[in-house]
Parts: sequence; structure tokens; C-alpha cells
Amino acid sequence: MKIQTRRHFLRSAGVTLALPALESFQSRAWANVATPPPRRMVAICAPLGIHTPFLFPAKPGRDYALTPYLETLADLRDDFSVISGLAHPGVGSSHDSIFSFLTAARHPEIRAGFRNSISLDQFAAEKLGTLTRFPSLSMSAEGFGLSWTRSGALVPPDLWPATVFARLFLEGRPDEVQTQARRLADGRSILDTVGAQARSLQPKLGSRDREKMDEYFTSVRELEQRMVVADEWSLKPKPKVDAKPPQNNMTPGDLIGKTRLMLDLTHLALQTDSTRLVTLMLLGTSLVPPVPGVTMGHHDLSHHGQDPQKIAQLRIIELEKMKLLRDFLAKLKATKEQDSNLLDRTMVFFSSNLGSAASHSTKNLPVILAGGGFKHGQHLAFSHEEPTPLSNLFVSMLQQMGVETEKFGSSTGTLSGLEAKV
Amino acid sequence: MGTRIIIPLILAVASMTAADDPTRPFFEAHCIKCHSGEKPKGDLRLDNLTANLDDKTTRERWHDVLDKIESGEMPPKAKPRPPKESARVVTDWITVQLTAASAKLGATEGRVVLRRLNRTEYENTVRDLLGVEARLKEALPLDTSADGFDNVGDALHTSSFLMDQYLLAAEMALDQAIANRPQPPKLEQKRTGLKDAYQVRSNSENVFRKQDERVVMFSSSQWVAATMFYIAERGRYRFRMSVSGTQSAAKPVTFSVRSGGGGMGGAKANLIGYFDAPADKPTVIEFTDQMEPKTSITILPYDLPNAQTVKKVGSEKWDGPGLAVDWVEMEGPLNETWPPESHRRIFGDLKQAKAPIYNQSTRVEVVSDDPAGDARRILASFARRAFRRPVSDEEMKPFAALVEKRMAEKSSFEQAMRAALSAIMTSPEFLFLREPAGKLSDLALASRLSYFLWSTMPDDELLSLAEKGKLSDAATLRAQVERMIADPKAATFTENFTGQWLGLREIDATDPSHLLYPEYDDMLKASMLRETQLFFTEVLRSDLSVANFLASDFSMLNGRLARHYGIEGVEGWEFKRVPLPRGSHRGGVLTMASVLKVTANGTSTSPIVRGAWVLDRILGTPPSPPPPDIPALEPDIRGATTMREQLAKHRQLESCASCHVKIDPPGFALENFDVIGGWRDHYRSRGGKAKEVNGRKLPYGDGLKVDPAHVLPDGRKFASIDEFKQLLLADKETFARALTAKLITYATGAAPDIADKNRVAAIVTKATTQGLGFKTLIHEITQSDLFQTK
Repeated sequence: MKIQTRRHFLRSAGVTLALPALESFQSRAWANVATPPPRRMVAICAPLGIHTPFLFPAKPGRDYALTPYLETLADLRDDFSVISGLAHPGVGSSHDSIFSFLTAARHPEIRAGFRNSISLDQFAAEKLGTLTRFPSLSMSAEGFGLSWTRSGALVPPDLWPATVFARLFLEGRPDEVQTQARRLADGRSILDTVGAQARSLQPKLGSRDREKMDEYFTSVRELEQRMVVADEWSLKPKPKVDAKPPQNNMTPGDLIGKTRLMLDLTHLALQTDSTRLVTLMLLGTSLVPPVPGVTMGHHDLSHHGQDPQKIAQLRIIELEKMKLLRDFLAKLKATKEQDSNLLDRTMVFFSSNLGSAASHSTKNLPVILAGGGFKHGQHLAFSHEEPTPLSNLFVSMLQQMGVETEKFGSSTGTLSGLEAKV
Repeated sequence: MGTRIIIPLILAVASMTAADDPTRPFFEAHCIKCHSGEKPKGDLRLDNLTANLDDKTTRERWHDVLDKIESGEMPPKAKPRPPKESARVVTDWITVQLTAASAKLGATEGRVVLRRLNRTEYENTVRDLLGVEARLKEALPLDTSADGFDNVGDALHTSSFLMDQYLLAAEMALDQAIANRPQPPKLEQKRTGLKDAYQVRSNSENVFRKQDERVVMFSSSQWVAATMFYIAERGRYRFRMSVSGTQSAAKPVTFSVRSGGGGMGGAKANLIGYFDAPADKPTVIEFTDQMEPKTSITILPYDLPNAQTVKKVGSEKWDGPGLAVDWVEMEGPLNETWPPESHRRIFGDLKQAKAPIYNQSTRVEVVSDDPAGDARRILASFARRAFRRPVSDEEMKPFAALVEKRMAEKSSFEQAMRAALSAIMTSPEFLFLREPAGKLSDLALASRLSYFLWSTMPDDELLSLAEKGKLSDAATLRAQVERMIADPKAATFTENFTGQWLGLREIDATDPSHLLYPEYDDMLKASMLRETQLFFTEVLRSDLSVANFLASDFSMLNGRLARHYGIEGVEGWEFKRVPLPRGSHRGGVLTMASVLKVTANGTSTSPIVRGAWVLDRILGTPPSPPPPDIPALEPDIRGATTMREQLAKHRQLESCASCHVKIDPPGFALENFDVIGGWRDHYRSRGGKAKEVNGRKLPYGDGLKVDPAHVLPDGRKFASIDEFKQLLLADKETFARALTAKLITYATGAAPDIADKNRVAAIVTKATTQGLGFKTLIHEITQSDLFQTK
């Protein structure tokens, strides 16, 4: 019997690998003026919410008065918008809303039968992922992250900045490079074999089982495509950076320290154009974060029950978070790229899956959108009564990224009032 | 297409006659008005709900409709009530349709969908397949759960990222299994006194008492924990130490041993265990543990004062209890043969030859004089175990071809074999539990049984019984289940089932506030988990009635937990079966500290959360989630209003009352237990007058008084948790059915649905006639059709 390889199958099935040849990688490099400037996206989630009374201004429009949290971002006022009144329709009050944060899949709080859908970053990566060495980067200070595949499987997040740094910037010794090449070749042969096996199983299965095997088969095919791209990239040297490799932060409750590491690494990844899509899941534990003036656990504080002492401590923690955001945005802005700067080409979406962690409410989510070539400097206030889908913002972001789509998740259009700079 | 059921609503087929259509007038009268159009109430739209019950989503929505009508939740109380009889006609009719659809699906496709190994099962399976203790779980992404368990096939997805991780995990595991050194790593044998530990050596604060080789530790402060040995090579190590309690009033002194790289035994340290040092009599304690490179072990006594207190008095004059350590020994890595058993299991006696690489000049690799023949033989025997069934030559050909191809591409024989072994470990036949529709084959039965009770692949005995077609014989199956329950591997059943049924995996989800609960510590946490696991195992192995889960006259306690429960006469870490004294309020899982902790947050308890938990986990009737946009009731920790007052107000709202009449009573029954499962007559409060115990001021005082009394929806009243448990016991079959449904879900990877109701009930009835023993119930489940059919 002739052994039919996976690649053979892909060809015969008329599947072409939509991969640019190595030359076109170079032609797409951002130094080339003929190509459109790169657009990037960073999505950040604070899983224990942001205390919105300290965030949202009372007044909509451009001349709103700064609130305690926005005070921190005062110098960057024209580089961000604060958006109130957004929510994911059909995502109920629960910490489980985190699963739908970037996917908008309905009813994660009802576990049985819940199936996630593709997240914002992976959706964009399907279109733009081959432009960079890494299609996307999903980092997390928790066990799971924000990115999900089309089949509703979790994209395993990177938990350790030192590992990410090494993958992004460190060239191995010649023997390590050789080992890596062998692993890729092994991997592709293995996928060939198991893919063919999965295909031979298909006819023996009932329709529900076949769906599961299809998922497996698709996964094999997608990984194979990624390996082809990785193969191409492996011939190019990794970018050099001056920054020292980060030390992993091993303090379990160190929300601020861990966040700073992730943001620094994100900046490096964007600056070197190693990836254009980053998701960051911040820490949200019940531990006491090592921040002066904070004596109670973060989760406990988020359930403040209107206790003024707790709200005061929560404010300390969240102000530290806001300062990190400010530093990150300022650093992006200070990083020039041709005639522009990184912030102008990077949309930073900072938000939470909870509108109020105290009651697990998923309405009126705290949203800050910075940079990315949008016109900013305003408070976009949407009605709390008839919530506007957060997915509308996602569609606007995708379009600004250059992804041609009219729809994402539960969108009903783009986000009105949010315009691109000309 | 087969017979498609038409449930006509607005989209009704014109030719349907009223006789076929008993639901239509009901829906038109009571449902459609709210549940239609672009913005239907509750996000449930009925006007376009199709009749195609082959479709999963549609079936789920019909289930939802059925639940809501049956429970009386819908139509809402404010609307006209449908006559009971017409509602019953409708629910009966939907039940019949759904049952038929489910039976049809079961017959053609099987009740259970193809399921992938979850990451726990994957790690265990690789461990047993290769014979290595590789920690692979962390390398794989978290699995999603459905119906309360993370082994439900429906929720287990595959992605290219997961495939990538599988390749990596297989490589990591094979690296550990296959030996590339000519000799075993040098066996290290070391014996030291505690005085060589740097914390003891460098400590100038006089908190250790040094007597020749012996060192006595008087403090439990983390920074004076004693760290020793430096493990360079991964492997199993044996540790021995001579210890005793000093000045401890004839009581044992408990201490912990941790392993980790942090030196201080910090965050990344793993608890190896707690041990008791008997008073005054030096005793040798021995244990073996799998150690990672660059780690040490750390010893710290439990529950002794902090170092500052000891320092003020000085270790010589200090007369409190202490842990005396005479010497500590380490030996390892322990390898009985070389190459190790894991290597020989794959390659047998194949020769090794020099294959140096960078930095490893003595490295060796397996070589073969007959690569094609050796590859075929090795792969076939590996695949039989990996695929949990005999394999044909034909289906091994692609794997043999892979070896050939990689060798043609200049890989060495061993490298090419590693690739093929990885392929087997990434193959769908390995990663999925494949079960053809209908009655399970003996081989599929062996796997289902093994993943149920062991969370891993079948062992040789199960596999050969299945290959001979003997496993499905009722008596053989029974004997195997007995054997499996008695095997140490059954600990994974206890851990994974209680971890999810009772939510024990959530034990670290919140950290109790140290201001309100200063007595909470790591040993208490470890003890809580252990109690529940040991209790579960005891009920299982001794075949005690499952009613013990509701109320029991014994529990499994150690000294720490006994103190927490106010029960006297138990000391130290070791657990034993303890008869519960009258008035202890304990017994059964509901009043175990572990369960009470996972149903609370760090500062307060909520009767709503606990009540909903009891309905779901114990009674099998999970309440619907709260309607959207209802703010959660939070205990007012300022103590101005009680939850009871808030809830009373809540219940006046019609939309809340229908559920809360069921949720609140079990919730209030547990109000006498605080967030760490301690008994309370009053809530702890940070405001007001601080409490004093033995002259020491505590950081909290007494708040409002607890009132646990409530009334069940059927009117039966209870005044305390003890009375509430009696009410539960009066209807233990309800609990048994709920537990059986959970067990079926866990055992088969799919929750029983409406069509299986009678089959679940039949299992319980059979077990009830034999006294409702837990092991009996497991036997009845494994002997049932439900278990033995896909």
C-alpha cells in the first residue's frame, strides 16, 4: 500500500498553504515604505475589575473632568479614550465571564454546553499572523489566558517572561539550533503520520465523534502550517535587543511586579516587530499584593461591600496598576518608528471582564482604549440601559488593524464615535 | 433522515393537525409573547425554536424549556397560571420527544461523545506507559469542564496549540525514559546534622539548641526553617531522619518537609508531607520522593512560636516544646538497573554505542543491526499498550515508515525511533478513548473502567482479560473492580472525583482574611483536604452506606482538625477514624471544614452560595443562575443588616422567590460554620469590642448572633444543622440518585440525560436493596447498561 502523506492530502484536497515565500517576508518588513505601516494590538484584562466610580468621568465628550484613576494618565489625555456603557450581551454575572472577555461567546456562566469561540487576537492572527515571527503572544499571570482558538480551545498562555524573552530574542548555540531544526522536521513527519491516521478513522465514526476527529485533524493541519512558517523564520536571525533578560517574578501575590515584567516584554516584542498581537491576563488572586498600605487580599478587597476601608485599599492597588499603564503607554509613545511612534501604531485595550467585581456584574465594563491611530481624548459614554456590545469596539479595532470584517462576536456594527485619524 | 419530530410553534408545519400538537395552544397562550422577536426575555427565543431534535443546541433549549415549566419557574408568577393539567400534558409530551431523540441518538451514535484524555489522564497514562514520573500536566493547557467534570468529552477540545504541546510533552517524557548515559548518575549518600544547614549555621539569634550532633528547633518561623542537601540529578531519593519531640508534655511534635528550589521553602516549595516526631524517643522517619534537579529539602516544626519570642528567652532557657533532629540522611537517585526499567521497557536489550554531542562527550545512543525489524517489533509492542488494544501489522506500517524516512534524512536510529514513539503518543488512538456505538467491546470496557477508577490506562491484567474477551463476564468484572478499588492507584479516583464533586480543587481559590481568621494555616488546609479524602476512601473501601456522606457518626481526624472541631483526644498529624461525640455537629461532608471553606470566600459566608451548592452537589437539582442584572447580595460586613433580613426582602420579589425558597434553607442550615469551617454562635466582626482568649487580644470580636433555623419548601422546619441533616437522611434516595448521576458523568465522560433517568433510578434501587453501600453502588454502576454502552 502506498502511504499517502499529509502533504499529499493537502495538495490533493486543493488546500494551499497561504504562506508568503521568504522574499515576501522581506518585502513586507516595516522598513519598506511601499507597504502600509504595521498595526498592532495589545489587549489587557484585569480579572478583578476596575472600580469604575474612580474611573468614569461624569461628563461625556472631550471636556470631561479627570477622575482619580484618569488623573494618572493626564499627560496622555489625547492619546486615549475612556469608554463607558459597553458589555457583552448574554454574558452573565460571574467570574466565568473571563472566558468570553475577548470572544463574546454567550453564557460562559452556564458551564454545561458552553463552547467558546475565537478570540479577538486569534481572529486577527488568522489574517496577519504570518507577517511576524510569532503570530501572537498570549501572556498571563494566572493559569489560563485570554486567547481562544476557533474550536474553542484555550491557547496556552506563557506564564514565564524569561522563557518568552529567550524565545523572542536569544539565538541558541549551533547544536541547539540544529536540535531545533531536527525537532521541526520530526514534528512535520509526526503530523503527517497522525493526520493520515485520523483521516482513516473518519469513516468509522458517528457524526458527533467525527466532529471531534475533524477538530483533531484541523489542529494537525494548522500546526503543520505554523511549522512551515517557523521553518522559514528559523533561517532569519532573531532581533537583537539591549535589554537584559528578565528574571521571573516568583512572588505569588505580586500583581504589580508581574504586570510590569509583562508590559516591558510586550514593549520589546512590539518594538522588534516579533509579533503584532499580544494579550495579557493580569493577576487576580486572593493574596495580599506587596504594595505599601495594602493589608488585605485583592479578591477580598474587590468584594468591598461598600466598606470604605476596603475601597481605600483597592484604590491603592488600582492606582499602581494605572501608573503601570501610563508608563507603558509613555514608553510606546517615546519609541519612534519611521515618522511615527509605536503608540500611534498600537491599539492598547485595557479593560476587565467585570463591570463591578463586588457583585460580579458584567455590565458597564471599564474600558480604556489608547493609541492605534484613533482620534482620542474623549469619554465615549453609552447608555447603561441598552448596553452597546463590546464587540462593536472589537470590529472597529479589527478594521483599524486592516482586517476586513463587518462582524465579530455579538457585534451590531462598529463603535459609533470612534474614528481613525486621517 | 429518520423520523423527525416536529414540534410546531410559530414555524409550525401547516399540515400538522391539532391532535399531533398538544403544545401549541399552551405556548401561544403562555410563552410566545415574551420569548420571541429580536430581544426575547431571558435570551430564550421560542418562535424560531425548530423541531429538529437531532441538533444538540436545539435539544438543550428544549431541556431548558422543560426544566422551567416543570419547576414552575415559568410562566412567571405575575402572569396567569396555566392549569396544572395542561402544563403536565406539555411537559409529558416534551419528555417523550426528548427521550425518543436521546434514545435514537444513543442507538446510532452512543450517548457518549469521543473523548480526549484530559491533562491529568494524559500525565498518568504517560507515567504508566513509559514508567517515568514526568510532570507533564503543567506543560498542557487547562482543560475545560462541563456538567461539573473536566473529563466530559463534549467540553474537551483540540487545537493546534495543544498538538504542539503534545509533541513537546512526548519529547520531555521520552527524554526521561530513555537513558543516554553510559552509567547511572552517581548514587549520592549523605548524612548530616541540622547544624550544617545554613539557617542553623549562620543564625546568631540563639533560637536553636545545639547538643553535639543534635539540634533542637523551637520556632515555626519560616526564615528559621532548616534547608539541606542539594539535589543535582532528577530521580527518586530516599530520606531518613532521626527525630523526637522535646519538652513536649508527652505529645508528638509535628513538622513539615518540603522540597523546592527556593531554599527558604518558599512559594514554589512542594509539600512532601507532615510527620510526627514522638515525644522524647528518637525515632527514624523514612520516605522516598521524586526530586527535581537544583532542589533541596526543608524541615520546619509546626505550630511553635515565632523566632522573636524564642530569641527573647534564649534557646537554652526556653522550656516550650521543640523538634530534636539527630541526623538526616539522603540517598539517590535510586536506580535499580541501568539502563533504567523505563529504557528497557522500550528498547529491551538493544546495544548502546557512543554518540557524543556538545557538552556530553560520553553520551550513548541505542543502535540496531536490523533497524527495520527492531523498529517494527518495538513499535508494535509499544502501540499495543499505548492504544490499549492489539494492533495489526498493517496499521503499524506508517509508524515504521516514519522511522525509515527519518533515517533516510540522516537521523540516527534512536532519534528516528523517538520520532515514531512521539507519533504514537500524539496519535488519535492514544489521545482519544474510542468507543464504537452500542455495547462496549471488552477492550473499550477495560479503558472506561481504568479511566474511571484510576484515571489512567488499563494495566496488564485488565488488558489481557479484555484481549481474551473475559472482562465483560459479570463475576470477572466484579473481581476486577474490587481489585482496582483496593489498588493505590484508586487514590486518583478519590482525588479527582472529590476534587470536582465537592469542589476541593478550589481550596486555594480564596485566602481567609488573617485578621478575621488568624488560626488558619497551611496544616489546617492540608488536614481539611485529607479528612475528606480519607473519609471518602473509608466509605468506599468499607462499603459503608452513602448516607454517611449526609451524616455520619465518625470522621477521619488528626490533631489539628480535632482542635479545629473542638474534639479532644487526638494529637499530631496522623489521621485516624474517630467516633464523633454528641453535639459535635460534625459528620458527613456538609460539615467538613474543606467543603465549608470552598463554599465561602475569605471573609464571609453566603447562604445563597452554600444553598445553591447543596442543591447542585447533594440534591442534584442545581438552581438556575440568577436573572441577569440582579445585583448580588453581599453580606454586609459592617454588620448593619443580616443576610436573613436582606434575603427576606429579596424573597418578596416574585422573580426571586421561586428559587430562593429552595436555595435559602440549606444555606442557612450551614450558617453556624464560618469561612474555614469552624463553629460559630456569632459572626466574627472587625468592629466593636475585641475578643480575648487566654489574655491575648484577638483582632476580631463578636458580631451578630447566628440564626440557622429555616423551613424547607415542603413546610418541614429545622432549628439547627443537626435537624437539617436528619431531614436529608429521611430522603437519602434523592441524594443517592444525585450522587449516581455525578458518578455516571465522571465514569463515562457524559452526564446522564432525561432518557437515562429510569436507568439511574434502577441502579439506585438495586443498591438500596443491598444497603446502599458505596462500593455496592460502584459495582451496580459498572455492571449497568449505562456504563457498558457507549
